[in-house]
Amino acid sequence: MTIDPRSPFGLLLTAICIIAFAYLILPILVVVVAPLGDTGYLAFPPKGFTLRWYAAALDDTRYLSGFLTSLQIGGAVALLSTIIGVLAAYGLSRYDFPGRSLIEALFLSPLILPTLVLAVSLSLFFTRTGLLTGTGRLVLAHIIVCTPYVIRVTLPVLRRFDRTLEEAAQNLGASPIQSFFLILLPVIKTGIIAGCVMAFITSFDEVVLALFLASPGEPTLPVIIYSAVQLGFEPTVAAVSGLLVILTCVFMVLYQILGVARQD
Amino acid sequence: MTATGDLARQKGRSGPSPAVVPVLIFAPCLIVYLVLFVWPQLSLLTTSAFDKGQLSGVHYVRFLGDEYYWELLGRTLLLGVCVTLITLVLGVPVAYVLARMQSRMAALLLILTTFPLLVSAVVRSFGWMVLFFRDGIVSNTLQALGLVDHPLQLMYTLTGVIIALAQVLLPLMVLTLHGVFKSIDPDLEFAAMSLGASPPLALCLVTLRLARSGIVAGSLLVFSLAISAFATPGLVGGARANVMATAIYEQTIEMLDWPFASTLATVLLVFVLALSLLYGAALDRRAKSESVA
Repeated sequence: MTIDPRSPFGLLLTAICIIAFAYLILPILVVVVAPLGDTGYLAFPPKGFTLRWYAAALDDTRYLSGFLTSLQIGGAVALLSTIIGVLAAYGLSRYDFPGRSLIEALFLSPLILPTLVLAVSLSLFFTRTGLLTGTGRLVLAHIIVCTPYVIRVTLPVLRRFDRTLEEAAQNLGASPIQSFFLILLPVIKTGIIAGCVMAFITSFDEVVLALFLASPGEPTLPVIIYSAVQLGFEPTVAAVSGLLVILTCVFMVLYQILGVARQD
Repeated sequence: MTATGDLARQKGRSGPSPAVVPVLIFAPCLIVYLVLFVWPQLSLLTTSAFDKGQLSGVHYVRFLGDEYYWELLGRTLLLGVCVTLITLVLGVPVAYVLARMQSRMAALLLILTTFPLLVSAVVRSFGWMVLFFRDGIVSNTLQALGLVDHPLQLMYTLTGVIIALAQVLLPLMVLTLHGVFKSIDPDLEFAAMSLGASPPLALCLVTLRLARSGIVAGSLLVFSLAISAFATPGLVGGARANVMATAIYEQTIEMLDWPFASTLATVLLVFVLALSLLYGAALDRRAKSESVA
């Protein structure tokens, strides 16, 4: 630290940091804590203590089926966009051809496109072409949003990969396919997993495309929460959101622990 | 097997490879992008520019001629400016402190910064709604501090949307700036201070100057995400604090007015594309200034 934390300026910086983190965490804390209140309406800080709303959230099959729908869509999107994205990143890292940077720009461009604009254009597209129905539309839409993340995460890893390792393996008699699976894949594995996890979380949390494209019979969990919140402040909805936050927390801790274990 | 084996074997060599293999590798991604990205985007543009089968600017004239939509655009840009300012005021100090921290605490705080990004924007906006409620803690605290003399209604106001959206986007600002500050050698600050500059002055003259294009890039990123965000304005703002994003949703889902929805979406897209060109230029400048240094 170049600045003495006890100087007035240091204290000011510390104060701003405390405010910023409180600001970041407060609304998330609210959805976890507020449904614990015993008042029957949502209040923060909560009064009394009950697990009634959390129990009700777990009991409601609507939320559970929404959760499962989101899980399925997220899984399908993560798998497909990882395959497409890693293939594309592999091609971009390996081949040099005229227009390569153009292709790379095209593959990454959904990152700058507002999801909302994509949602309008895809609704228009699916309505006019009649292509697919129901959940398939949302999966395809999420693939467009998630593939760029996979490419962006894996491309630097692939570019850093030392190709002489693969050549050495092939000189020692490995077939290119063997060297791909035995040498390249293990080295870039961390990047692929990171891309895959990012794709899953993006798809699981995404609400704009889901609002436009999800089939009315099978809404995803964020869509259910969005619609329920618009109608009113039910403590059960907060409890569902709270459960999501807790689940994300557990997931993140596990990912960190496993990530640290891998690095060791 | 031998045929594919031969193809694959040549792929690993640095010499000229048959064009078939790269084509096969790129094909899935290219097809998906052309069908689901390029085509829909083009048809969005044509939908906005045609009327009854003829090229026409009628939808754009409707947008430009109606004061309501000018107000809408103005409110959206105001939202973007305010959100960017809040994330800057909080994000610059936080990113700086995190970048200069040596302990494990820094890693922990960085994880804490990333965590909100993993929670759906819907859930985070919901949290703000509970806080903003008429008798919510925000209103009560402001009253207790004597800053307002009546219950403050933040729900369904632009102010509420600004506060909530700045929280949603703050992590992105901090993460962008963290990388920028991390790349600036703290010895430069020490040098400035040993030459007599006070710490705040040293930071302004050295660190912030060097981080300038990174700060511009982070701001443009947050701004373009703020003007196109939907979930937070939709929930916290509702119909009473309408912005471009919520208007586009209305036109598409409720009015089913595809041409006009496309027009609004195109206007938004133009703003975002212009900003991302500036963003690219800012990053370029940053790369150049680094290579000079």
